[in-house]
Amino acid sequence: MTTRRGLLKKTLGGAVLLAAAGAVPVAMRKTKLRELAKGRTLLFFNAAEYSVWAAVADRILAREATFITQEHNDGPPLPAAVVVEAAEKRAAPPTPAALDVAGKADAFLAPLDQASAKDLKQLLALFDSALFSLVTGGPPRPFTQQEPAEQDAQLKAWQTSRLAIRRTGYQAMKRLCCAIYFGAPETYASIGYPGPPYELVKSALGGRR
Amino acid sequence: MIFKGAQVMTDLVLKPDVCIVGSGPGGSMVASRLASHGISVVVLEEGGYHLKDEFDMQESTAFPRLYQDRGNRATADLSIAILQGRAVGGGTVVNWTTSYRTPDDVVHRWRDEGSVLTPEILGPHFDEVEQRLGIQKVDYEDTNPNNRSLYDGCKKLGWQVDTTRRNVRGCLRTGYCGMGCPVDAKQSAALTYLPDAIAKGADLYADCRVRRIEWNGKRAQAVIGVVLDSASGQETGRTVRVEPRVVVVSGGALNSPALLLRSGIRQGPVGKKTWLHPVVAVGAMYKSRIEGFFGAPQSVASHHFAHRDRGAGFFLEVAPTHPMLTGIAMPGFGAALRSRMALLPNLASCISLMIDGFRGDEGGTVSLRPDGGPKLDYPFTEIHYECFREGMKAMARAHLANGAESVTTFHATPLVVTSEADLSQIDRAPLGPNLFAAFTAHQMGGCRMGSDPKTSVVNPQLRHHYLENLFVADGSVFPTSLGVNPMESIYGISSWAAEQIRAALS
Repeated sequence: MTTRRGLLKKTLGGAVLLAAAGAVPVAMRKTKLRELAKGRTLLFFNAAEYSVWAAVADRILAREATFITQEHNDGPPLPAAVVVEAAEKRAAPPTPAALDVAGKADAFLAPLDQASAKDLKQLLALFDSALFSLVTGGPPRPFTQQEPAEQDAQLKAWQTSRLAIRRTGYQAMKRLCCAIYFGAPETYASIGYPGPPYELVKSALGGRR
Repeated sequence: MIFKGAQVMTDLVLKPDVCIVGSGPGGSMVASRLASHGISVVVLEEGGYHLKDEFDMQESTAFPRLYQDRGNRATADLSIAILQGRAVGGGTVVNWTTSYRTPDDVVHRWRDEGSVLTPEILGPHFDEVEQRLGIQKVDYEDTNPNNRSLYDGCKKLGWQVDTTRRNVRGCLRTGYCGMGCPVDAKQSAALTYLPDAIAKGADLYADCRVRRIEWNGKRAQAVIGVVLDSASGQETGRTVRVEPRVVVVSGGALNSPALLLRSGIRQGPVGKKTWLHPVVAVGAMYKSRIEGFFGAPQSVASHHFAHRDRGAGFFLEVAPTHPMLTGIAMPGFGAALRSRMALLPNLASCISLMIDGFRGDEGGTVSLRPDGGPKLDYPFTEIHYECFREGMKAMARAHLANGAESVTTFHATPLVVTSEADLSQIDRAPLGPNLFAAFTAHQMGGCRMGSDPKTSVVNPQLRHHYLENLFVADGSVFPTSLGVNPMESIYGISSWAAEQIRAALS
């Protein structure tokens, strides 16, 4: 959810990764660009970084057609059928694109200090590097050009990597995506959250609010 | 008076008796006590002045507005998310109201460091705090299902457990303490000790970031603040220069040592031995609805494992399950994350807080980021991992005993526990930075008190070892963590500290 000065530089591994990212020829950095959400002007990202973030958000917050299934539930056994049924009946959640998660991340990150900003931008360049994907066992394509299953594999690899710096990078992206998405009232119904008890508060305040 | 950033239209030079940096439980208490004796006080607070009408119970509003780094604070490697308040009233505006006195054994332990505190000395201070803040024990009937699940599980296992005490009056139990109480039921510093201080003539400047303390020889000479725009947080270009007789640093753990470091006041172990009560969590799935987002967020605690024969102690509490906080903590991504979040109403959340600082562990170290803010490194050791594993197993046992269908850990690859036989998975699962979710809401230490200038930053009277007119009054002076939630300890010890400061003034 955040970045810090030295986030990528604090380990030898991190320094090597950054050097690798810097060495990737521009021609190989073919980020698949996304259109900005209507009315959005970027304050922090450039167009490529915005596109990487949008692609990450799409997979972090992906929703498959079957919603809750054991197949997608990579750990816990399914709870009682009645609980699942209640969840299945809820409104479909909005997509990350519909909420402009990447645009909101851009606005949130705008005040970041210069050093942290540089770190985060380097992280995004590395994450979308075709060469880095290749040398770490992935397809020879930038993240933004990969198939969804390949993208999930890359996220998983970063999440559980033996390199601490990749796990840190994954957390930075995952936490901010989730904070923006699940903090948005548009998502509440889909997760069974009724929202704040405004009526209770209003009555306690004598109708004010 | 309270001045917001927008009201400061010119550069100011102020010359009160005392300048206090920070308005949380430490700063507000000292301000109140000193002002009540006719001492002129100026309080500088980086956070904004927010009232209940602004508390809309939305995480997306509250975290950027009321928390450090806009809710984004973390250790340098992001392995521990740091929840720390930032507002007029400090952490008391957003904490979950749990109120404990400093445990007697901890007070006694601090005497090894040269502390002169005793339970008898602190007792009258805690008595007053409890009366002023309306601190009362929660009735079991007033706990929500989230907290009750921990209580009932512990009872079934024969473990020590009890309801907590909370600083509320007329609480509606909405569950939104962490976003600022919308009905002023929570007796935060912004509603109690700060108004007390203001009524006695103290002035408070909100939206004022203290850059540094100017000092020369053995004296602090001035406190230099820059004024922030209330809405954007950007500097307005205005400055506040305070030239007091005494400076009191009350920015809280992390911020107080960072201020000393920024000011070049580096004598002693500034920033060292920072304690966090590092938290690991589990989620328990119930057939019935838990709705952990409603009701008093934290009203039950078990200290059954606080004093273990081997390994660091820990205690168990409960965290609310609002969507944003849960989404950040919940492991995994994509459909797996979606599946877990879809079951939010049936989720009970339990946290295990490690009591750090008692087993030879060194805690964290505060240094400076390039922008001057606090950078915290808190390396995990086997002492931590052993404690985290035992905490996870204890939480799982409590919830299984209470009838949870399953308990899921917050490892990067979550473990699912449905029976005692599954618990050994927790021992085998790899732990390391960002391989599991860790948090802290209790920051302590970094300007520890003690009699030896080599091992402490302030003396037993909380006066800086080298600067004779500089005191520290907040959780940063604690030589160890507490084993309980720290708010009341900070109030009580700062109340005692105010007597020392007053003596120094006279």
